[in-house]
Amino acid sequence: MFWRILGRELKASRTRLGLALLVVASGAAVVSAAANLEFNIDGKLARTFRVFGANVVVTPSGPETRDPQAPRRKESGQATKVRRLGHPEDSLGFRGSMAPGDRPESEAVMPAAAWQAIAARHDPRIAGAAPYLYVAAHLDRVQTEVIVAGTDFARARPMNSWWKITGRWPAGGRGRDRAAEALVGSDVARILGLGPGGRFRVTCGGKTDTLVASGVLTAGGPEDNQIFVDLGTAQQLAGLPNEISLVQLSVAGFSGNIRAEMRALGTALPSVRVEPIPEFTQAEAALAAKIQLLLEATVGLILALTALGVLASMAALASDRRHDVGVMKAIGGATRRIVRLFLAEVGMLAAAGSLAGCALGFPLSNWISERAFGSGTAVQWEVVPLVAALMFGAALGGALPLRLLGRVRPAVILRGEGWNSQ
Amino acid sequence: MFARIILESVRRNPRRKLLASIVLVLATAVAAATLTVALDEGNRLAREFESFGANIEVRPLADTVPLEIGGLDTRPVRRGAYLEEADLSRLKEIFWRNNIEGFAPFLPVPVTIEGRAGPIDTTLLGTWHRHEVALEGGNAFVTGVEATDPWWRVQGRWFADRAGECVVGQRLAERLGLGPGSLPRRVVLRSGSRQVPVQITGIVSTGGSEDDALTGPLELAQELGNLPGKYRSAVVTAWTKPEDAFGREDPKQMTPAEYDRWYCSPYAASIAEQVQQALPGSSARVVRRVEESEGQVLGRVSALFWLITLGALAAAVLGIGAMAASSAIERRSEVALMKALGANSGLLAWFFLAEQLAIALGGGAAGFGLGTLLARELGRLVFGTASTAQPILLPVVLAVAAAVVTAGSLGPLGRMVRLDPAPVLRGE
Repeated sequence: MFWRILGRELKASRTRLGLALLVVASGAAVVSAAANLEFNIDGKLARTFRVFGANVVVTPSGPETRDPQAPRRKESGQATKVRRLGHPEDSLGFRGSMAPGDRPESEAVMPAAAWQAIAARHDPRIAGAAPYLYVAAHLDRVQTEVIVAGTDFARARPMNSWWKITGRWPAGGRGRDRAAEALVGSDVARILGLGPGGRFRVTCGGKTDTLVASGVLTAGGPEDNQIFVDLGTAQQLAGLPNEISLVQLSVAGFSGNIRAEMRALGTALPSVRVEPIPEFTQAEAALAAKIQLLLEATVGLILALTALGVLASMAALASDRRHDVGVMKAIGGATRRIVRLFLAEVGMLAAAGSLAGCALGFPLSNWISERAFGSGTAVQWEVVPLVAALMFGAALGGALPLRLLGRVRPAVILRGEGWNSQ
Repeated sequence: MFARIILESVRRNPRRKLLASIVLVLATAVAAATLTVALDEGNRLAREFESFGANIEVRPLADTVPLEIGGLDTRPVRRGAYLEEADLSRLKEIFWRNNIEGFAPFLPVPVTIEGRAGPIDTTLLGTWHRHEVALEGGNAFVTGVEATDPWWRVQGRWFADRAGECVVGQRLAERLGLGPGSLPRRVVLRSGSRQVPVQITGIVSTGGSEDDALTGPLELAQELGNLPGKYRSAVVTAWTKPEDAFGREDPKQMTPAEYDRWYCSPYAASIAEQVQQALPGSSARVVRRVEESEGQVLGRVSALFWLITLGALAAAVLGIGAMAASSAIERRSEVALMKALGANSGLLAWFFLAEQLAIALGGGAAGFGLGTLLARELGRLVFGTASTAQPILLPVVLAVAAAVVTAGSLGPLGRMVRLDPAPVLRGE
């Protein structure tokens, strides 16, 4: 009997119920989309912030702890190839002349095995890693010293997305006349007077190499004063076939993740020093916290206002039921039963609305994430009960005034007086 | 008569109208609040990027030509070019002076620390911590590394800008055997034949080369290096507009009109150009790592907020539309009665639409007020200062509400116009 009445009722007022369903479903859709995005935002921001490049640097630990078996540089001053970056007398080594991550003690080198160990790690937190070997070399044509940085271009490229390259990135390997391709910093290119395709010679110790500029690099930082070549080329030039100066890491995540990663690396590679680049780790964390708070507040606002809107719509629906309640009471319906009937109606509305809303909201959040971050977002199933609870709460809250209707005298309503008064 | 019917209708059935208005108020509040936040959020987040530090670097022009080689410069300190400290106040006189959030000059001088541990060679980096720069018109602007490099951490306390004090880098402190407990400590700095006693007041950690140096007042470095009124490089933190396609164009190839537009846009590149013009003999360049990445991150976050806002707007529109439709359906018996009394269909439709529009405009205005208030509080919560209201949104929100209410009512209104009063009045 209960279900038959309910079925009839739903059928009879399907237009109005359809409209109420539209309100609940659209509210549920936007709430579920926003909540789903909110639950996924941490990872998305962590990935997005990797456009800032390296935030952790691995350097050799101090000379006192260095492996005595490691090949040492020649002691004669003239053959010093890898010299101190940020020499005490170098006025420009300070604040602004060094990329965050370059270290004054980069004169120290470490075995390239450390880099291979890092590169071999399958750690989802490491968004990127690149080795560097810094060599002080001589530019024959202009009689100046310059830093030649050896790196792995395929690895360095995604970590330095802000580099503006005129020409192209080196393809690696050597051309016909065995000239190694290089990226030439814009200041170096200017004093050498060369553009993409230009050739020049660099000397280091007794070794000479011919480089060809595949591209000119503008970064607005110390990179403008350096020449980037393949790691092997730099190692050959320096006479350090198996050494690197440092490894730059781009770790996805904020303070906790970064600390965990640093600990993990420190345990795996005891002879290195793993340090964050505070300029970026701290700023990223602060900014991410702001963005998250903004998103949380916005989502909270949408959530609260949408729930209240659904509540008001339900209250309107409930007040339309007054006439039905009067009829049912007049023919002897128990108040409890009438209220239960209406609550069942509202409950079904909330359930159907939440399900339809989630079914719409998840693709919506995926689409938003796709547009904003370039990658879709996973469905967080805990959003479904959250949205359902919210919609049920709002719907039942809206139906609450109906309990007062239980006290309504049927005669008043049936005479039509309750229609416009009270 | 027309107005009286509407007024009576509202007065006689206040509950129903109230609920319809509440739905409208809430929906427009969502729209107004999310739009206010979305309009403002880009600018405010851009300001948060200051925590990444300076985005413009200033060097002597003469210095960049003979190649500064990434820290391998072995020239004695007295060679190379310097800039004039006195010129720095001009940074607050450029076109975008209000976008200059902070700046700090640097002057590194090689020094020897005479102490118990024996003489240690290091560098004294002279700079400002919180320095008062006198501006034209008698105002002062307080700036220094505190503004440009907010991530520097100091144990103990910072040096005072006009005192014989300095802070020591973390790694240098280890070499000196200094801990937070042994501060302040008096040492003697020697550079050439000059000797100055200073007080070490703190240990600074920056993650950069400052960790191996002393950082102290610019005046102290000028005195020790015998370079009165000079500095070597400076950093500027400017609040900039992320580069768009126009900002990436080469200003040298622009038409004069385009150049003016570029010059008057707060792109990092145009501010850098103005900085360079303000400081004679300088070369200013944009730190692309901060600037370029800022554009990318901001772009993504803004897109996220706009899309969420659009989603909320769509839900609000549907809610308003559904509400309008269902309240139009309510009025069947009233319409039938009026028709039976001889009202013509056009007047009837107009009457109901006017009633709905009255609710839409009233509710929309209230919703705008509520939304603006909520957005204000949200701004205060997230950014510490209230968001500015966007009055431009009021007509937009009202127009959208009116349009949606009209669209939602049209279907039921059409049926109303064709309604046959007899069966409705007989209760069929």
